[in-house]
Amino acid sequence: MRRVPWLALGSVLAGLGIWVSARLAPLAGLLPGCAFKQFTGYACATCGLTRCTLALGRGDWRGAFHWHPVAAGLALLLPVAVLWDLRRAWRGEAYPGLPESRWARLAAWALVLGTWALQAVRGI
Amino acid sequence: MLIPFLDSWRALTHPREAFQDLPPPLGVALGRMAAVWIPLALGNALLTCWRALQGYEALRKGGLPLDLLATAGVDPTVVEDLLKTLPPALPLTRLLPWLLVLVPLGVLGTWLHHAVWDHTGLWLLGGLKAKRGFRTSLLAEAEALRHAALGTLVGLLSFLPLLGGLLSIPLLLLDGYLWLFRGFALAARHDCEPWRGLAATVIHAMLLGCCALGLLTCLVILLRVGA
Repeated sequence: MRRVPWLALGSVLAGLGIWVSARLAPLAGLLPGCAFKQFTGYACATCGLTRCTLALGRGDWRGAFHWHPVAAGLALLLPVAVLWDLRRAWRGEAYPGLPESRWARLAAWALVLGTWALQAVRGI
Repeated sequence: MLIPFLDSWRALTHPREAFQDLPPPLGVALGRMAAVWIPLALGNALLTCWRALQGYEALRKGGLPLDLLATAGVDPTVVEDLLKTLPPALPLTRLLPWLLVLVPLGVLGTWLHHAVWDHTGLWLLGGLKAKRGFRTSLLAEAEALRHAALGTLVGLLSFLPLLGGLLSIPLLLLDGYLWLFRGFALAARHDCEPWRGLAATVIHAMLLGCCALGLLTCLVILLRVGA
């Protein structure tokens, strides 16, 4: 039995959100900014994400990679994830569980902490 | 449930024993959560909108301390002129249909959001060794959030004049506990140690809280100050 391709649907919604965000760019100046950075003076792991999203909405990939390279990289991989999800959904294959390997978890931790360090060092 | 919220009170005061029974089907757990939480969230949203509209009207009618602004170097006449140009507030009845749509969507969105992030946090901490999958996290979140809705009910006290202000810090602490409470449900349903469930909710808060929750807190503070 085929299943709902939630990941693909979510990706379409994310794409739509990015497109809409570019239209709302003039309002971005009203946002109060990152509370963590305001209190500590250091960027958090998600600092630059709003500016990255706005750059993606304008189709400015160079700017998007500058503001948040990890998020821009994930956005680049999104079409691959959509195709993967649609193929599996068509075949009725359930979503695989998250990998149990300790290395996979360590890699995810490294990605989160590495992103944080990268954004903090660059003063984004 | 003879006394409303009695089982939620018991669950919140004895979180380790709260999720030891056989879990209900996901649909049942979701239905119970929605039945308890949506009406309370709707009440909370209505009161928040009512207070925000009152604050806005007060602002339009010159509710700002102009003398204080003058001492801060702001020209009061400029502020007064600006306030006079603000359009009148919408009546609450016009917002109601939107709330009836947005609040249930918000409740379901929050449930899904918590499930995704807490599941990821639990995986990062090696708490998914029983291989029960994401569906188990959805179920655990639905069960926990049904009980945590009691916090929304208590949170309505913040709208009381004077008492609301006095209760702001205890209510903030309660919010913190209710955030962590989901960890007990996650740990019980995924059959891992409670600390992993609790830490998963902390990782969720850390990853998200840096940005989105921080922004939200700033907005809530601004709204409270404005009202």
